[in-house]
Amino acid sequence: MKRKFVAAAAATAAVLILAGCATSTPTPADEGGEDITLWLNGGDTPETLRDYLKTEYADATGGTLTIEEQSWTDALAKLTTALPDAENTPDVVEIGNTWSPTFTNAGAFTDVSDLYDELGGSKLLPSFVEVGEVDGANFALPYYFGSRYAFYRKDIWEKAGLTVPTTLAEFNESAAKLKTDSQSGFYIGGEDWRNGVSWIFANGGDLAVKDGDEWKSSLADPKSVEGLEQLQTLFADASLAPVTEADSTPWVNINDNESTGKPEAATIIAPGWAHWSIGDLAPDPADDTKTIATWNDDVFGTFVLPGADGGVAPVFAGGSNIAISAASKNQAASKELLKIVFSADYQQLLGENGLGPANLDYASSLGDDQFAAALIESAADSKLTPAAPGWAAVEGSGLLEEFFGKVNGGGDVAALAAEYDAKIDELING
Amino acid sequence: MSTSTAKQTSSLTFKRRKLRAPYLLLIPAVGILVIGMGYPLVWQIVTSMQEFGLQQQFGKPAPFVLFDNYIELATKASLWVVVGKSILFCLVTAVVTLAVGLALALLMNAVSKGPRLVLQVALLLAWSMPVVAAMTVWIWLFDRRRGAINYLLDAIPGVDMNRFDWLENPLTFFAVASIIVIWMSVPFVAFSAYAGLTQVSEEVMEAAQLDGANGWQRFWGIILPMIRPVIAIVFLLQIIWDLRVFTQITMLQDAGSKSSEFDLLGTYIYKLGTKAQDFGMASAVSILVLAITIILSWFYIRSLLKEDES
Repeated sequence: MKRKFVAAAAATAAVLILAGCATSTPTPADEGGEDITLWLNGGDTPETLRDYLKTEYADATGGTLTIEEQSWTDALAKLTTALPDAENTPDVVEIGNTWSPTFTNAGAFTDVSDLYDELGGSKLLPSFVEVGEVDGANFALPYYFGSRYAFYRKDIWEKAGLTVPTTLAEFNESAAKLKTDSQSGFYIGGEDWRNGVSWIFANGGDLAVKDGDEWKSSLADPKSVEGLEQLQTLFADASLAPVTEADSTPWVNINDNESTGKPEAATIIAPGWAHWSIGDLAPDPADDTKTIATWNDDVFGTFVLPGADGGVAPVFAGGSNIAISAASKNQAASKELLKIVFSADYQQLLGENGLGPANLDYASSLGDDQFAAALIESAADSKLTPAAPGWAAVEGSGLLEEFFGKVNGGGDVAALAAEYDAKIDELING
Repeated sequence: MSTSTAKQTSSLTFKRRKLRAPYLLLIPAVGILVIGMGYPLVWQIVTSMQEFGLQQQFGKPAPFVLFDNYIELATKASLWVVVGKSILFCLVTAVVTLAVGLALALLMNAVSKGPRLVLQVALLLAWSMPVVAAMTVWIWLFDRRRGAINYLLDAIPGVDMNRFDWLENPLTFFAVASIIVIWMSVPFVAFSAYAGLTQVSEEVMEAAQLDGANGWQRFWGIILPMIRPVIAIVFLLQIIWDLRVFTQITMLQDAGSKSSEFDLLGTYIYKLGTKAQDFGMASAVSILVLAITIILSWFYIRSLLKEDES
């Protein structure tokens, strides 16, 4: 009897091991001619814009547009595995602007140079067009741009007798003064390199520089180190965020906390569209498990992160590109969708919803309120990450999060910078 | 599977040559294994000897580099740290899982029907809970700001756990991961051990009791040896599963940090392959994990086979 049991257990074991190995991500293949799939990342594209695309696509082609939302964290891995596979690839994809060089160089996208002029041509945001270009041919085009600026609590800043800072040093000082045991003067996660990189940029440093044909990581450049040391001090003196927190949802910290009635932070930096989530909280009449934030000018304010010598600090230019998968079987239909995306109406809608329109002729659609002003002012000086062929691998590897986390954890900046320069150099040239 | 059929024929050695049926019956199982596992394994081995990056993923030919990837791995200190951590994590988790599972099995055996049913239903619920759903709840429990764990610990006088960040430090991070993995795998151990316990004959136990053996002596001298084969196979499975644990770690990393300090082999390979797009190297590490699994379980498989022969 005992033997039988062992045998049965062994058989069960084999089945369980086998079962554990099966992993697959079924994606509906779209072989029905005109039906296409669009992948959008995160919730950045609002519902009204999605509905517009679906309706317009149906009107224009008679087919169905399916929009599948990918999370920003998984998007890179999913694109890497899905794009080469003709059976499973989405037809049109949104990609983070910083990943565009990598995928464009690998041949993931369809050449859309013939459509370029029709879609906007020289009016499209140049830096974004550049990252989607190989040898003068256009593969990925701009979708929308965003930019980061500071949101602050007017009530707290005024009470402490502080005014909007005009230099980065003044910003750092004020933020440190506003820190208490339960409130960050400036809330920034230790691993949040997308925001922290502004301190490198503001001091004249960069993430990587091109030397001949080769890219080299330049974290150990004296200017970068200077910026990183400022950030390290700022993190220690002004932020209560965990050293392990990356680019997350900082706006939850500037609103009043439901249980204490006070905010967790006097200042945050966030992408422009975060303003929809900032304000006085009240229960949502449609769904009482949720709350709605209503912006209140008496309590909240915005300012653009100041530069080292006044002016504006360069911030990370956020945003996305859009491209057609080279493996897609519905090339013609996909091009129809691009025409809708770059149409005047859609560009106008992007701006009205706080997303920088790809076609700069429609920049006025952003409006003229303080958010539009801050977005335009900060975007003017914003910087993209290096257009190196291996940049997506650098981002994907998480080395930058790790590096900024260690810097903000109090490590020796120069030594860490040299160590991570070496690690990044292994990946950056693809 | 193959051992079971082979075993039944072993008593009939004189007939062995004429018996074709067992081999015919083996074909479907072997076929599934070859198609299901052979293809990925071969692909994995081939890729591990290539320079395979994103360019190759999109159709460029992949140059063969033979053992270059493996040589690079062998000299990579960061990898061996991850290997060490993974083995330690796997052993600690598997041992604790086994101890808790065995204790619960003994409890099920000892209590009356009502409580046993409650216990079994509770265990089944834990076992059948989808990983992602369970992980979400666990992450909420350990949340820095609003987690129930911090709230309860903080309520103990003299303990200050307000806003304690469990996921900030690798030691507490892996402790949390271990607790979650144990919670998820204890039901399987408990049920298997309980099934084993029901096979321990009452007469033997009664005789031992009459001879004056106390509870501990009966457990150590009778119960444990009798259910040893079950324990052995269950422990082997736990080791294999805990070595390649992935979902729990990756979801905890989403809630905490993706820094390499928080990596075990599963997440290390995932990052190297799909995220840093070095598929050749990632395949080489996967083959290494396969080797480690075989080494770790070799001892058990051998003793299992021996037991079968005796």
